[in-house]
Amino acid sequence: MQEAELHDLADDADYAASQQQGSASLMRSDSSRRSSGSEPDGAEVVYLKDNVTIHPTQYASERISGRLKLTKQGPSLFMTWIPYKGQGSNAKLSERDRNLYTIRAVPFTEVRSIRRHTPTIGWQYIIVVLSSGLAFPPLYFYNGGVREFLATIKLHVYLVRSAEDANVFLVNDIQDRLQRTLSSLELPGAVGVASGLSSSLPVGESLSIANQERTDGGSFDGSASHVQNNGRQRQKVQDPARDLSIQVLEKFSLVTRFARETTSQIFGESHSDGYGASERRAHNQTPHNYSSSGISNDVEKVPDEVPVASDPLEFEKLTLELGKPRQAPLMSNEWSTFFDSEGRITDSEALRKRIFYGGVDYMLRKEVWPFLLGYHPFDSTYAEREYLVSVKKTEYETIKNQWQSISSDQAKRFTKFRERKGLVEKDVVRTDRSFSFYDGDDNPNVNLLRDILLTYSFYNFDLGYCQGMSDLLSPILFVMKNESESFWCFVALMERLGPNFNRDQNGMHTQLFALSKLVELLDSPLHNYFKQNDCLNYFFCFRWVLIQFKREFEFERTMRLWEVMWTRYMSEHLHLYFCVAILKRYRRKIMGEQMDFDTLLKFINELSGQIDLDATLRDAEALCVCAGENGEACIPPGTPPSLPIGDGSLYPQQDDDIL
Amino acid sequence: MSYAYLFKYIIIGDTGVGKSCLLLQFTDKRFQPVHDLTIGVEFGARMVTIDSKPIKLQIWDTAGQESFRSITRSYYRGAAGALLVYDITRRETFNHLASWLEDARQHANANMTIMLIGNKCDLAHRRAVSTEEGEQFAKENGLIFMEASAKTAQNVEEAFISTASTIYKKIQDGVFDVSNESYGIKVGYGGIPGPSGGRDASASQGGGCCS
Repeated sequence: MQEAELHDLADDADYAASQQQGSASLMRSDSSRRSSGSEPDGAEVVYLKDNVTIHPTQYASERISGRLKLTKQGPSLFMTWIPYKGQGSNAKLSERDRNLYTIRAVPFTEVRSIRRHTPTIGWQYIIVVLSSGLAFPPLYFYNGGVREFLATIKLHVYLVRSAEDANVFLVNDIQDRLQRTLSSLELPGAVGVASGLSSSLPVGESLSIANQERTDGGSFDGSASHVQNNGRQRQKVQDPARDLSIQVLEKFSLVTRFARETTSQIFGESHSDGYGASERRAHNQTPHNYSSSGISNDVEKVPDEVPVASDPLEFEKLTLELGKPRQAPLMSNEWSTFFDSEGRITDSEALRKRIFYGGVDYMLRKEVWPFLLGYHPFDSTYAEREYLVSVKKTEYETIKNQWQSISSDQAKRFTKFRERKGLVEKDVVRTDRSFSFYDGDDNPNVNLLRDILLTYSFYNFDLGYCQGMSDLLSPILFVMKNESESFWCFVALMERLGPNFNRDQNGMHTQLFALSKLVELLDSPLHNYFKQNDCLNYFFCFRWVLIQFKREFEFERTMRLWEVMWTRYMSEHLHLYFCVAILKRYRRKIMGEQMDFDTLLKFINELSGQIDLDATLRDAEALCVCAGENGEACIPPGTPPSLPIGDGSLYPQQDDDIL
Repeated sequence: MSYAYLFKYIIIGDTGVGKSCLLLQFTDKRFQPVHDLTIGVEFGARMVTIDSKPIKLQIWDTAGQESFRSITRSYYRGAAGALLVYDITRRETFNHLASWLEDARQHANANMTIMLIGNKCDLAHRRAVSTEEGEQFAKENGLIFMEASAKTAQNVEEAFISTASTIYKKIQDGVFDVSNESYGIKVGYGGIPGPSGGRDASASQGGGCCS
């Protein structure tokens, strides 16, 4: 099997060539090793490449170049990427940015895969995905060297090309038991990865179990009093989070707002963090939340069990100060004031701001959404829009006709179409059927969902159809009530959210990675908690991000949240701040109850229907203001829902830099 | 509510084979054909009694579409039982079993009990996979096998409970080292059978979900 896979790699002409280059890089590395004195003892540099660059924003001036290295220490291989200290366009690069992006000696035992992107125009880049599900930002090789990089890795660790995608290289993807044994002989460091894959418990496990047992046993052996004492003493004990808090505040330049003494006073107090809300929930279980009812008795005892690190940002205060009160929705009389005589929206910024703070009256959504989604340009006239609508209607009919004209005989020989149609048909009857617009047998609106999704899968054949899309389309069709218009609004939305549905899940991984960086920035104790509990992949936020909180709110609230996010007024990535805001509301419960990955996932799932939209929006706004450009720097360029630039790939090149 | 053990189950299989309907039939004893499609994972739970011991089943109902495989894999950890479901009226859902099984073998505990379920057996007139083929596949791969119908409830109870019995028997046979609590938790179920059926619910809950 191993031979077959090796052959699979050798089969590729590119790869064969790179194998030769690989040995060249070994020779070259000798000289580079002498020049870099920072390697730990016994570490050998086996690959070194300068001008490997990340693009934290879309602006060329903010790119960060650095040196990529592979080092070998004993049997283990490590990857390191260090940004250059202020030179050239990086003169402004702060220590904080350097620390944020620096990749320090990541062992390949923690690497899951490497994806190679080879755009026809522009630089090659790679995305390294860790076993935890985290991905590093794309590394652009300005001086080439991707093949050499992969070839070098292959000399030292087990690397195979993915059967599903020729540009994905799997690291330590060991399925055969014999290979596993062989590999662990060669690579003692690989054991961690192997055990992660075979679902043995990670090293931190025993520790968390020990904690659990301690608290679990509490009510029986009297250690409960000890535990509760811990809780009571909490406020007297010097809180290590306090210093941290001041640090974080300094990061946000908020020290001017909160004098130091105020800060320590604030952080000395315990606060509610939305705890009341979850307690109420526990008394309000639906039968489906059955399992929680079994533990309802421990809801009361939990708050005292585990001391929780304070929130470094005193959150309620921040919200009051930075999150503005929500306003009433935009109504038609006010809406009409935004237009000039020919129907142009003259001040789109003001409109977006207005909608950001209040949303849109439900009667008006049909008119407003096409602008917010980018289907209608703000500066178009009435006449232009009317024309656009009629042209687009014809265009829609043409695309729709492409699949409608497939005869059953032709379909027999068109597996991909049959499968896609089958999938869509199965899903539209499982989308919002309890909502009156889609309920009942033979509901024509369900057929419209099907037709639009199938037409979209022909309009964007590469992306096709993926579960979750029907959730995104459903409110749009409900608002627009018109097939062609709904289609084009959906197309506009998918321009931004399409990457959520990429087969390799890269769009999702990028967003979850950005989310982890934001939490690290805005609530480092919570970040550390997730880290210790093996939750850094943020899969528990997967549904939130994939379908934009569609399953977390009832229909009307979802539409309100969406139109606020679509204004892109505070940030293109308000949804990520919204995630942080929810997590912060429940941070105390999450950490206090020592939730592990499974418990956390279940807890987050069951928050559905429990989240206060307006309050969370204010929190999200406050966090966004608070994080400022440091927050935006956490979010890699091209992260959905940012529009892809240039060639339409997820991490595209910028035109001005090609030549 | 107290119980002796908590078993984590995971339901896997292609999209549209009836995973969520099987769960709903088991937990709520009803069939709901217009159930929303599953994004990510949904949870259900029910108590069963095995050998006079109360056992809580915590069931993870996963999304079936291929694109979500990478995330589904993260749910296997700590599962004591898996229900691998196909639709007897759609051949391709049977053909994909091997790949689901490979995922389960690779990402779940080696001792996980796997029950193969051929769902929708009420639709015998549209059958595309014979019972014998299902049996054969199960035999070749060491799985328990049943045909069931989430719609008529035929064999649904039996499928979940027989899986629980098998897990319970493995405990009795010492396949899982429950003398050491952390080992017990490690394989995905919690609770030491005490004189009155175990510790308080929260304790078992915590242990059971431990990953």
